Amino acid sequence: MTSKILAAALLALGALSLDPAAALSKEYILTSTKPNTLVLVDPAARKVERTYQIAGPGAPLGIVPSPDGKIAYVITNHWGSLVGIDLDSGNEVFRADLSDGNIRARNMFGLEISPDGKEVFVMRSPVRLGQGEYEVQDVGIAVYRTDAGLNARPDRILPVPRRTTGLFMAPDGSRLYAVNWDIHTLDPKDGKVLKVDKVANWERPNYGVPDVFGVWNHYEQAKVFANPYFAVRTDLDPKDPAMARTGMLTLDFATGAVTMNEFENTSAVIFSSVVNPVRRNEVFSVYNTLSKTDTGTNQLVKRVTLPHTYYCLNISGDGKEVYVAGTISDIGIYSAETLERIGEINLPGGHDMGGTWIRMVQR
Amino acid sequence: MMHKSWRFVPMAVLALASAGLASAPSVQAKEPSAEAVLNTKCSTCHPRTATGGLFRIDEQRKSPEGWAMTVRRMRQWHGVILTDAETRNLVKHLADRQGLAPEEAEPFRYALERRTVVESPDDADLATLCARCHSYARAGLQRRTAAEWRRLAHMHLGQWPTAEYQALARDRKWWETVSGPLPEKLAAKWPIDSTAWKTWKARPSPNLAGDWAVAGHRPGKGDYWGRMEVKRSAADSYRLSYRLTWADGSTETGEGRSVVYTGFEWRGSTRLGAEQVSEVLRASADGGRLEGRWYLDDQDAVGATMVAVRGKQAIAGLSPAALKAGETTRLVISGNALAREVSLGDGLKVDKVIAATPDSVTLMVSASAGAAAGMREIAVGKAKAPLMVYDRIASLKVEPETMVARLGGNGGPVPHAPAQFDAVAYTADNLRIGPVPAKWSVGNFDETAEHDQDAKFGGVLRPNGLFMPADAGPNPARKNLNNIANLLIKAEVAEGGATVEGSARLVVAPQRWNDAEIR
Repeated sequence: MTSKILAAALLALGALSLDPAAALSKEYILTSTKPNTLVLVDPAARKVERTYQIAGPGAPLGIVPSPDGKIAYVITNHWGSLVGIDLDSGNEVFRADLSDGNIRARNMFGLEISPDGKEVFVMRSPVRLGQGEYEVQDVGIAVYRTDAGLNARPDRILPVPRRTTGLFMAPDGSRLYAVNWDIHTLDPKDGKVLKVDKVANWERPNYGVPDVFGVWNHYEQAKVFANPYFAVRTDLDPKDPAMARTGMLTLDFATGAVTMNEFENTSAVIFSSVVNPVRRNEVFSVYNTLSKTDTGTNQLVKRVTLPHTYYCLNISGDGKEVYVAGTISDIGIYSAETLERIGEINLPGGHDMGGTWIRMVQR
Repeated sequence: MMHKSWRFVPMAVLALASAGLASAPSVQAKEPSAEAVLNTKCSTCHPRTATGGLFRIDEQRKSPEGWAMTVRRMRQWHGVILTDAETRNLVKHLADRQGLAPEEAEPFRYALERRTVVESPDDADLATLCARCHSYARAGLQRRTAAEWRRLAHMHLGQWPTAEYQALARDRKWWETVSGPLPEKLAAKWPIDSTAWKTWKARPSPNLAGDWAVAGHRPGKGDYWGRMEVKRSAADSYRLSYRLTWADGSTETGEGRSVVYTGFEWRGSTRLGAEQVSEVLRASADGGRLEGRWYLDDQDAVGATMVAVRGKQAIAGLSPAALKAGETTRLVISGNALAREVSLGDGLKVDKVIAATPDSVTLMVSASAGAAAGMREIAVGKAKAPLMVYDRIASLKVEPETMVARLGGNGGPVPHAPAQFDAVAYTADNLRIGPVPAKWSVGNFDETAEHDQDAKFGGVLRPNGLFMPADAGPNPARKNLNNIANLLIKAEVAEGGATVEGSARLVVAPQRWNDAEIR
């Protein structure tokens, strides 16, 4: 290493350690419970740090924190509005109602924020309520400026195929991934399709249409979308255990690379998955069981039964703890190494968490 | 712990209950006519079309329940304010003017009668595109123009935007199909115009007032027979009184009322003994026969078949409907204005006439060991009815063979939804002998159920085949899982020194939070 580079590295290190925000930064969990309550959790202390009551009806669905960890953008109002909650003051600092006049619109899962925190992307399914009839409209991604205040209107609407679920951004903000039957890579400025990776339309002899359905965005740690898929072998007897196969689809946000590989004959329902940011071949998956799979060898490493169903999960930045959530009223904490339950955090009120997400936020 | 969100449910349940189709017409003289309601309230959103009809409304036909469901949705979803009397008048008017002919409703009567069945759709595409969410019957009990089927598709995704994301939708271009080619297919299969409807609509509605003989069978309780007196209170509206005798010798009386829609769709509401029941019957074209099912208002899996006949020398039913060769059996033939002469055919001998009235003939009948097995026709005067003679019970079927019960109660607003089973005997030739008393037991349906001890947690099967599901909500004894279960319902009878067994599958499911007039 040349002295010049070493100096630069040391400088960078010094700058990092001297940055007061970074020095004080700590990892929190952001999730929600009913009724319409955003919850900030300190996982290290195993306790709820703070709750935020969101105005109006409904319960949170999607949650995206701003990159600086100061604001949480939350879908509420029965999937009809996006609100921004200041995590310090608790105030609503942003609001976008997706419906407009005789257009009734609902968010259909997809929610993402640009890496610079200036824009949020909301998957929107509208219907025109005419006189005596409904008229289904084309779906689209509504893009809002985050400084648009409490009566935000879309800056632009990007066309996208129907049935789009996940929206994810490349770390440099140059590409927006939209997961539908296939994965469309879009230019976030104008929605231009840059690339299509075939998923449901894959061309694999002797395989049926793979079922890929994930409605969460909890991929901030490894910056990889990982989602189970279920596929049927059409060349085998339906009674053959190898007929139904479970695989893992991954999409690397930085490179755009997509992989699809099966790891077992289907033997468990899986709702959602997350990649370990430290050992990036480790994928954790949740529903009635917690599974660890190795995407390097496409093997199931370990599976444990959970005390109840969980829909979604996330992982600590050091890759040591897995947090499962999203059904009853608790976050279960598991060792990424052993899959042992090493803790839990009960949410206030004992209400169910609905279709919420679980996000990790540094603040 | 999750009860707070339940507070919204009673409203929906209440709204459904108030849509009862047998409510008496309002006695208010100044109540607006259905036409007036259509012209003043409905036409606000459904304007007059070029042909003079009301947009959308005039392009569909359906059952009384179908119209009741539509009007309820207009109230719930679109805020139309209607009095209950206006709602009743509107449903009656629309079902009469744009209903279904008897043969159009016939294949799907099970849904109107609120029977739980595993449907057998005759179109695999429709089974997936439509009946993955609701019954096939719900669609099959409607007739629309192609444009109107298409508007219905738009309503579906507009009202339930998740519909295109669900399993069996996301594996195909569901929306593109249901809004594209499907409406034309539906309009050809279930068209707005039909000869059956044109013919039926021209017929006058029969006057069903009079004295009727009734008979039927209630699983878990047995056969019944008796009288129904029907008095006309207004056009197509009746007051009823029942006098019934049950096979166990008990008697029961009841008072009720009914409305007849579309000239044949009898919907009754009766207090029978201590129970409140709903009747869903169809009148024959000549007005001489009513047939269908009644069920308990709060437990619609519990109910009875019912046949009613009127006029001279008409048989309503036999109890039992089968006699065993080599045995002596008490046989009750019930009907209307019955003659005294009974002819049972070879091998059946009347040992004693226990009672003989115009309403029923009660006999002790000996069937010789050599009596010909199979169906035969017996006669009471000029009235005829089928009677089975059998040699032995060869097999036993539990009906319904697939059933759903639902958890309930436990402080929540949704009551338990029990399931009622009946053990039905068959001959070696697979001829139906009929319901027989059986010994009941419950087991786990498969290995998973065995592992989870479903039979222990799902509920209790009573000696009469009534399954009472367990409480709703988390069960601490089950690691806070709820009490859902996958069960095998078993019945056995002794026959000739051996045991004959039958079984059915029962799924104990969570509560039904949103019910509908047609599920």
